[in-house]
Parts: sequence; structure tokens; C-alpha cells
Amino acid sequence: MTVCTVAVDAMGGDRAPGEIVNGVLRGVEELGIEVLLVGREEEVTPLLPSPLPSGISVLDARDVIAMDDEPASAVRKKKDASIVRCAQAVRDGLADAMVSAGNTGAAMAAALLRMGRIKGVARPAIAVPLPVPGHGYQLLVDAGATTDVSPEWLVQFAIMGREYARVRLGVDEPTLGLLSIGEEPGKGDELRKLAYPLLQAVPGFVGNVEGRDFMRAATVDVVVTDGFTGNVALKSLEGALRSLASLVFKVFESSPEARAAGDVVMPMLLDAAEAYDPELTGGGVLLGVAGVCVISHGSSSANAIFKALSVAADAVRADVPERVREAIANAR
Amino acid sequence: MPAETHVERGPLGPEEAFALVRERLAEILDIDETRITRESRFSEDLEADSLALIELVEALEEELGERTVGFSVDDEDLADLVSVGDAVDYVMARLQVASADS
Repeated sequence: MTVCTVAVDAMGGDRAPGEIVNGVLRGVEELGIEVLLVGREEEVTPLLPSPLPSGISVLDARDVIAMDDEPASAVRKKKDASIVRCAQAVRDGLADAMVSAGNTGAAMAAALLRMGRIKGVARPAIAVPLPVPGHGYQLLVDAGATTDVSPEWLVQFAIMGREYARVRLGVDEPTLGLLSIGEEPGKGDELRKLAYPLLQAVPGFVGNVEGRDFMRAATVDVVVTDGFTGNVALKSLEGALRSLASLVFKVFESSPEARAAGDVVMPMLLDAAEAYDPELTGGGVLLGVAGVCVISHGSSSANAIFKALSVAADAVRADVPERVREAIANAR
Repeated sequence: MPAETHVERGPLGPEEAFALVRERLAEILDIDETRITRESRFSEDLEADSLALIELVEALEEELGERTVGFSVDDEDLADLVSVGDAVDYVMARLQVASADS
């Protein structure tokens, strides 16, 4: 089996390049992959051991797309940006996948413009795993790639999400739900009402789901929605979980008895809370482009990058783009 | 003379430019080419968003850049391109500029 090579955006994310390089060093050592680190050579190379460890090479890219740059035009204007060169490396066969913790929109635009779209896919979607305590994960599709969508595009998101769920969740026949404001078919805005009957033709579709069905067992494997709603939902969950964690800490600090109880319970709670750490999910996968693109959280640590590399390698080995292409072609 | 910059395939005429724009746009929007006329408006008639237009521009630059050295599209001009006909006229104008500069 050939070794999987991942192009990593060394300059993307709040903690780049240091944490990115650390994650890469661990990934190359533990995952049996090779990495092409893409970024300003003079900033990246000093962070690497000398001589360069086997399996790591550096591709010099002079520009960086900032978090607040307008994605599509930045990709066009900054042709030598690390994120653009990563996507180009996949297109040119220098790498099998890309990972970036940089500007999400730019990662999407770079992948779309450089790798190209899978035939029949109007717009890509980001599939993000949400932890379901005791039951693995649920996929949210789209978590923010395409904000304005048509009912037909939601159907494509469902087909792509279902196919990827087979790989990421290990479920043979994943179930799908359309995120709406009520379970009944007539509930929702015009988009949801128009999408519902179209989704009924997609295998595994069980109907509408609500916000309360996130991260719960016995709901659905894949929650389908537009990128705007999906991103709001994702960030709301993150915010709510942080708020809940801070409430728990406050309770355990509220009295000597509570502190004593906390000493006993807190280690167990912290262990359990690891499942909710977005750093450990490995980031979202961009579905619908003709290559593997993993988009990590902007604040990714070395651990998050390591997980993202693992997700990217798994997607390459499972040939996710080809599976998505087949699923879309079969549905046409 | 402009023709000397057009390697192998010769200069691009307006009809050929329209055919190229229509073909690429149909691929990007995944629609039938027959839906696309010179009068088609990107947003209102074809539901092409800004990203689709940038995909079109990239495709045209790749294709036409091979034929005419220096062919490029200025992103700031994109807002003025309302219809397919506008895009074809713009492509022809930029090809002339590129030819004159080379």
C-alpha cells in the first residue's frame, strides 16, 4: 500500500505554525503517513528537528490568508498562500489530502477552485462529527461551507453526508434527519418545506429533527441543514457546553462540602467531558470536492492537528471523494 | 499583430468566446447549455452566486491564458458583469488588451 501524503497548512490557525508543526511531528511518527508542510520556510524549518525527520518535507509558500480575508477573492489574489498551495498540491498529485486550521471559507474556496467539484455537486458541505455520549458520533452536514442553499442542494448534502457517515461513523445504513423547528413534515421555513419531499427519496431519511436532537442517541446519524443554520447550531452547542462546564465548576466551589464532593467527582467529570472536546474530533471534512480536505478548528492545538491528520488519512484510505462521486451519480 | 500571441488555435472570436463561457458555466452550475443565452443574467436567471462567477473566471483564465499570454480578469470588474453577454464582451476586451501588451 502506498504511503498517504497530507499537505498541511503550516500557517493556518491561531496557534500556527508552532502547534501545527508539533501535531505533524506526532502524526508522521504515529500514523504512518508523510506530510508536506506548506508555509513560509524560514518560519517552519526552525521548528523542525535537524536533520529533517523522514516523512516530512517543506513546501515554501510566501503568502498567508488571514482569518478576516474575504475567502474567494483572497484565494484568487494570494495565489502563493499556504492554504492555496495545499489545495494545489492535492490537485497536482503531490499530496493525497490537505489539512488546514486557517480561514474556513478560504479552505473551502481553495479546495473548490484548485481541486474542483465532483460532477453533480452544486456546492460543497462540511461534515462535522458531534459526540453522542456512549454512542460515538453524529454528523452535522453542513457546518458552514455553503450558507445560501436550494432544496436540491440539501438533498446533495444528505447524499454526501450519508456516504461519509458510513466511513466516519462506521454505520452501514445511516439515518438522516432534516433540521427544522418541528418534527412534522409541514414544519419549517420555505426551504425546509420544499426540501422535505425531495429528501424522502433519499435512503435513510426519517423526517425532521429539532435542535434538541443533537448529540443524543436514538435520533439520527446525520443531521442535514444549510451552512448558515449548521454553523449557528455548532457554535451554539459549543457555547452552551462551555456555559454548562462553568456552572458545574461554580457549584463545586460554592461551599466546603461541595469542594469535598468535587475532589471526588471532578476527575471523573473531566474524563467524561473529554468526549465533548472539539479538539479531539479531528475537524470537519469538506464533502463534494474532488479531493480530501479536512478543516480544523481555528484554535487547533498539536493534538487537534494530529487528529485531523488521522481523519484525513482515513478519508484517503476509504477514497471518500470517489464514494461521494458514486453516491451522487447513482442518485441522478 | 494580435494573432501572433494566439498559439496553435488562432484568435478567439465572439461566438467562440460565448460557446466557451456557456460550456464552462453549464459545467459549474450543472445545468443544460441550452438554458444559457447571451441575455441570461447570472444572478436572476441562472442563480449563479459570487463563488460560481469566480469558478467561471478561474476556468476562463486557465483556458484562455494558454491561448493568449497575459489574459486575466480583474476581480474588481466582476460586479459589472450582469449577464452572459457582458462576460463575453469583457473576455473579448481583455483578450485584446492581453494581445496588445504582449
